Amino acid sequence: MKKFSLLATLILPLAFATPAITHAAPTPDNVALEKNTAAPLVPGREYMVVANHPNLLHVLDLVSNRVLKTCALPDAFGPGSIQIAPDRRIAYLLNNRFGSIYGIELDACKLVFKADMALQKDERAKSFFSIAVSQDGRELYTVQNPTLLLKDHYEVGEPRLAVYDTAAGLNAKPERLFPAPRQTTIMQTGEDGALYILGADLYKVDVTNGKTEVVLPVRDWGRPGYGAPDVLYAWPIQTPRREFMVLYTAPRFQDEKQDLEHAEYKYGLLSLDLKTGKTEVRDFTTLSEIYFSGIRSPKDGNLLFSVLNGLRKFDIAAERQIGSADLDHAYYQTSISHDGRRLYLSGTLNDVAVFDTDSLKRITTIRLPGGDMSLGTAQVFIR
Amino acid sequence: MGGALLSLALLSPAIPADAAANADALLIQRCSVCHADARGQLARIAGQRKTPEGWLMTLVRMQNTHGLKISDEERRALVKRLADKQGLAPSETAPVRYALERRLNTVEQFESEALTQMCARCHSGARVALQRRSEKEWAHLVHFHLGQLPSLEFQSLGRDRDWFGVALKEVVPDLAKQFSVDDPAWKDWQAQTPQPVTGTWSVSGHLPGKGGFIAEMSVKSQPDKKDHYVVSWQGKYDDGSVLNGQGSAVLYTGYEWRAHVDVDGVAWRQVFALDHDALKGRMFQREHDEIGADIVAVRHESGNSRVLAVHPAYLKTGQTGTLTVVGNALSGKLALPEGVRLLKIIEQSPRRIVAQVVADRRALGVHTLSVGKTKGGTLAVFERIERIRVLPEFAVARVGGNGGSEARVDARFEAEAWARSASGEYRIGLVPAKWSVAPFNADAERDRDVEFAGAMNAVTGIFTPAPAGPNPARHLMTNNAGNLAVTAEVTDGKTALQGTGQLIVTVQRWNNPPIP
Repeated sequence: MKKFSLLATLILPLAFATPAITHAAPTPDNVALEKNTAAPLVPGREYMVVANHPNLLHVLDLVSNRVLKTCALPDAFGPGSIQIAPDRRIAYLLNNRFGSIYGIELDACKLVFKADMALQKDERAKSFFSIAVSQDGRELYTVQNPTLLLKDHYEVGEPRLAVYDTAAGLNAKPERLFPAPRQTTIMQTGEDGALYILGADLYKVDVTNGKTEVVLPVRDWGRPGYGAPDVLYAWPIQTPRREFMVLYTAPRFQDEKQDLEHAEYKYGLLSLDLKTGKTEVRDFTTLSEIYFSGIRSPKDGNLLFSVLNGLRKFDIAAERQIGSADLDHAYYQTSISHDGRRLYLSGTLNDVAVFDTDSLKRITTIRLPGGDMSLGTAQVFIR
Repeated sequence: MGGALLSLALLSPAIPADAAANADALLIQRCSVCHADARGQLARIAGQRKTPEGWLMTLVRMQNTHGLKISDEERRALVKRLADKQGLAPSETAPVRYALERRLNTVEQFESEALTQMCARCHSGARVALQRRSEKEWAHLVHFHLGQLPSLEFQSLGRDRDWFGVALKEVVPDLAKQFSVDDPAWKDWQAQTPQPVTGTWSVSGHLPGKGGFIAEMSVKSQPDKKDHYVVSWQGKYDDGSVLNGQGSAVLYTGYEWRAHVDVDGVAWRQVFALDHDALKGRMFQREHDEIGADIVAVRHESGNSRVLAVHPAYLKTGQTGTLTVVGNALSGKLALPEGVRLLKIIEQSPRRIVAQVVADRRALGVHTLSVGKTKGGTLAVFERIERIRVLPEFAVARVGGNGGSEARVDARFEAEAWARSASGEYRIGLVPAKWSVAPFNADAERDRDVEFAGAMNAVTGIFTPAPAGPNPARHLMTNNAGNLAVTAEVTDGKTALQGTGQLIVTVQRWNNPPIP
C-alpha cells in the first residue's frame, strides 16, 4: 500500500475503476418492475431517461414523478451514457461495456440503431462517455479507442472520430472516420454544426472533414496564477441552458513562487455556450469536498448546483455556497427541469432524488426497477 | 528441432523423461500455437524473465483470457521450468522480496517518479521490479496495459499527461535499462553450484499478535522429483504453545523456496530465499496472508556454526531472565556482555542454549552474543523504555465477508520499545501493550468510524474489520470503512508510555494476484 497526500486521497476516487461508494445489489423485490413499454410519450410533457443494472432503460414522468416505462436493453450494461435526439423521440445510449451505441425509440421501446465501436474482428474498441447527436438528428458522433488483438501481442491504435448516419439501422458502420486526439471523453454538438469534444483541451471539430482546433486549452491552460486543472467528467448532460459545462479543480498560487504546497485549490467550471460557441472559465468555490457533476439554473446562470456526498448550491459570482442538503447516499449526477424549479439527482444506486431548487428540500424519491445507475448519464427533456 | 520435439510430445506425452525436457516439449506444444515467430522461436517468452509467481500470473492470464488449456499439473511443470531457465537472480529479487512475501503494508519508495506514477499507482512497483524484459517486451507490456485497461489513461495521474506517449517514449527505455533481460546477474547466478537444502533446519521466527517461536524443520527429497521436498515442522512459541506441521516444498531457480505447510489444520505458505545453508523469508496463512511470521533458519548438515537468534531479545536491568540462544553447531562458552551475569545454564546443546541471567546498568545497550568463536544474535539491555513505536506505522485492513467473495483482512500491530543511552536511541524489541483505536481526524469522528469499522483486540493488537457492504446505519449508507488512530499503551514500572499509528479500514481488494 502506498500513502497518498491528502489531496491525492481526495481526488483519487475520481478514478473510474474505484468509485468510493460500493453499490447495492439490485432490489427487484422492493420495486415492482414496470414494463408498460407501449405507453407513448406525451408532447409537451417533461421526462427523464436513465439506464441501470442489470440492463434497463427507464422513462420517468416528471409531472407525476413516477416510472412511466422500462425498456429492456440488449447486450451488457455500462456506462449508460444517454443523449436525446433533437426530436426527443429517440434516446441514444453508449452501453455494452463502453463497446456499442444503441438508438431506442422511446414510444415503443424499440431498438432502431446499433453500432459496435470495434470495426473489425480482431479489434477491441471502447468509447469513454463519448456520444453526441447532430443538431438535425441525422448524424451520431463518437470517439473510439481501438486496440488490435493480434496473435501474440496487442497494438494500441490511434483514437478515431466515427460519424454515423442515424438511419443506418442495427448494423451501422461509420460514414466517415477521422483521427482524434487521445484521452477524449464527453462531447456535445453546437448550433453551428460543430462538434465539441473534451480531452486534454476542449476541441472544436468540423464533422465534414475532421479538422480539429482547440477552442479552450485545459491541461495546459496557461491561466495566470494557477497550476494545471484536473478535469474528470463522465456526464454529457444536455442542459436546458444549452451549455456544455464541466467542473475542474485547480491550484491557485499565493505568489510568483508558484508553490503547490501552499496553493489554494479552487473548484470551477469550464463552459461552452452551444448557441454561440462562447467559452467561460471561472472559479465558484474553494475545494473542500469532491463534486462529481454540477448544473446551472436555466433561470439564473449565476446559480450552480453540484453533487456527490452532499447537494450544494452556489452563488458563482460571489464564490459562495448559499444552500446545502444532506443526502441518504452519494449521487453522481445533477439534472434540472426546464423551468429551473426541480433538481434531479441520479447515478450511484437505484433511486432518483427530486429536490426543490429554491429550498433544497427533497420533494420525493423515484425508485427504479433494477439496480445501480452507476456512472450513467440521465437526461431531462420535454417531448 | 522444434518440430521434432513437438511431434515427440504429441506422440508420447506420458513417457516419463527428464522433467525439464518434458516441460520444454509442453511449452512448444501449447505456447507455439500463438507465440512461434517466423523462425519457430517463442520470441515473446524468450524476451522475459520472471519469478515463479510472475510466471504463474502469466500462465493463469493465458488460461483465463486467451484460451490456454492446461491441467494444474502441467501449469506447475511450466512454472517450474520457466522460473528455472528464465528466472531472476537473488540479487535481482532482493530489494523487492516484500511483495513475494505478501507484506502488503509496505510503503514503497522508488527513486523514479515515473515508475511511481506510471506503474505503482495501480499495483506495487515491486511487480515491475520483479520482471526482466527486453525493450521490445516492455513496449508490448505498455500496449497490453492500455488495450486491456483502456480507462487507465483517464484516471488520476493518467489524464494529467500524455500517458501513452510518456509510457512508450520515456518509461519503456528506462525500464529496459533498469530491468534488462540481459542483466549479467542472471548469467552469473546460473553458473553457481546448486545449493543443498535437504536435512534438518533450526528455525527462529516471530508471529505478530502471538510472539516468537523456535522450531526444527526436516526437509527430505521427494523420490524422482528434482527440487521437490517433503517438509515437517516441530516447534514451540515462546509462550509454550505448540507449532507442528507438515507439507511439501519446491525449490525454484535454485533458491526460491516455496512450501505449503499444514499447521494444525491451517494452510500456510512459505516464501523463503535460500542463501548458503540459510533460509530467510516469511510464512503466512494461505487464506489470510496478513497473518504471517518472519523466519530465519540454518541447516544443521552444513556444519556451519551459527547463532540465529536470542529469545527474548531484550532484558531489563535488575530482573532475572531466561534467554534461549538458537543456532547450529554451537560449541564452547556462551559469552555475555559486561554487566550481564550468568546465573545458570539450564540447557546446552549444539542447537540451543538456555540460560538464566541478570543484567545491571553496565550492560545498557545492544550487544551481539557469542558462543565459542561464533558471534550472532543480539540482546538489548535496558533500564527504562523511552519511547514506543507502533508497527506498522501505517496499515490497511479491509472489510469483507457478509456474503461477498472476499474475506475480511485483519491488521496486526506490534509495540516496539526504544531506550536511550548516552550515544543515542537504541531498539529494545517488541513488547506487550494495551491496544485501542480512536478517530484519526474530524471526519472519522463525525462518521463514527470507531463504532463501525471493526474491533481492536486490546491484548493482541489484532484489528478485526467489520462486515462488507453498504451500511444503512451510516452516514451516506457508506460501507464500514474507517480512518483510525491506533494507540499502544505500554507500562514500564510506574511509567505509562504511548505510541500511535494509523489504520485505514477500506473496501475489499477485488484483484489479488500472487504479486500485489
